[in-house]
Amino acid sequence: MSKRILVVDDAPIIRLMLSDILKFNNYEVVGEGCNGQEGVDKYKELKPDLVTMDIVMPEKDGIQAMTEILEFDKNAKVVMVTAIDQRESLMKAIRAGATDYIIKPFEQDRVLSAIKKAFGEA
Amino acid sequence: MTMTDNVLIVGIADIKTGKAPFLIKTTLGSCIGVCLYHQEKKVGGMLHLMLASSEGIVRTGELKRAKFADTGIPDLIHELKVKHDADISGLSAKIFGGAKVLQGVTSDIGKNNEEAVRTILKQFGVKIIASKTGGEKGYQIEFDLDTGKVLCKIFGQEPVEL
Amino acid sequence: MEDKSRISKAIQLIAQLSIDRASQVFSKMVKCGAKISLEKVYLTDITKATEEIAIEGGEVIGAYIDLVGDAPFKFLITFETNDSLLLTDLILQRPTGSTKELDALTQSAVQEVGNILASAISNVFSSDFQIKMKPSPPQVVHDFAATLFEEYISAIAAESNEILIIESQFMVVRHNLKCAMYILPLKGSDKTLSYICNTI
Repeated sequence: MSKRILVVDDAPIIRLMLSDILKFNNYEVVGEGCNGQEGVDKYKELKPDLVTMDIVMPEKDGIQAMTEILEFDKNAKVVMVTAIDQRESLMKAIRAGATDYIIKPFEQDRVLSAIKKAFGEA
Repeated sequence: MTMTDNVLIVGIADIKTGKAPFLIKTTLGSCIGVCLYHQEKKVGGMLHLMLASSEGIVRTGELKRAKFADTGIPDLIHELKVKHDADISGLSAKIFGGAKVLQGVTSDIGKNNEEAVRTILKQFGVKIIASKTGGEKGYQIEFDLDTGKVLCKIFGQEPVEL
Repeated sequence: MEDKSRISKAIQLIAQLSIDRASQVFSKMVKCGAKISLEKVYLTDITKATEEIAIEGGEVIGAYIDLVGDAPFKFLITFETNDSLLLTDLILQRPTGSTKELDALTQSAVQEVGNILASAISNVFSSDFQIKMKPSPPQVVHDFAATLFEEYISAIAAESNEILIIESQFMVVRHNLKCAMYILPLKGSDKTLSYICNTI
């Protein structure tokens, strides 16, 4: 059975690109969120196996959203997808519970390796 | 003066005056474009202001009077009198702009600008005979000093003549 | 008070480093040969700057981003409306001409280019000068070029009669993409710029 993934990003084009990569590689995209609050709400509703989460978003940022998701489900797998390539920010995301991070603009291979790592796949 | 043929372009915080057959043009967002016209003499001017009041602004450099409604409007009236012999009693006004282009900005600068312009013109006894203000999109206006008419195009809409 | 010419040099350096980094990420994003080059850095009167844009005219889609932190800046990137359709095709690796309509996807292409380039610039501040800066969520507007520019400079123009413009030019191999990118230091970034002066 395909692993179920929720994609959260405020840019429709990024959600499309990520969804295309995931679907092409036999993951099921069960839903999308366009801001942190939607990300949290959809996680609770859909209970995906993993969520990809942008950091800079309106209403609620990705770090806050991830924190709330982890409070709801301590085993949640969250892969941050961000254009901010700053050590301090990335370490903050990891310390807050992110499984991995992907820097934009991303290549397909990088997306897949982060997802596989999160699922403990080779 | 910036002109192409008989066209004067007005930038932010600027006043341009002239006579027929000149056209005066500008593009606006939250700023207000004040067009004053003297029908009999066929002279007019445009002020492109960005804020209601010059009071309380911490500024660097000298005061750019055309930035503000409270200093720019009197300057426009004065320039029309001094350069074109257009007395205030013969002037009428048309105002445009004051849009809220950026969302998520707490204060409505455009609305504040419009209110200030209306108040100040009333204080000077200059009647506003036409206006098109507000909304969320930009304005391009073209003021014809031969007729006093203003062609106003709001982004995404057909132009209207006022 | 720091010597103005030294602050100018600092700004030139920051601008060059930022644009170089932005160029690398933009090329990666559109997946073809692309370069952003620093066109000019200059101080100009606000009236003159807006007159020139009004003359050039045009309708654009723009993304506004605030860079917040130790050195507040404002960032604006604009694409001519038709070029945003081409940009969408390049990013999604579709045949050019596939995107025909301006819709949420096209606007988000501009949004995300803005986000990624603004982030690249803040990453330079962080990595090269240890200055903390982060972008805000982009705001995308489709309007007259002069309207967008006027709103962009309004934060500075209220208090100052001059603005510093950092202007760049985009070149994409085989495509004539017209784009303008501006970086505007805000009040509060002077201390940081002075600090950078002392480290270069």
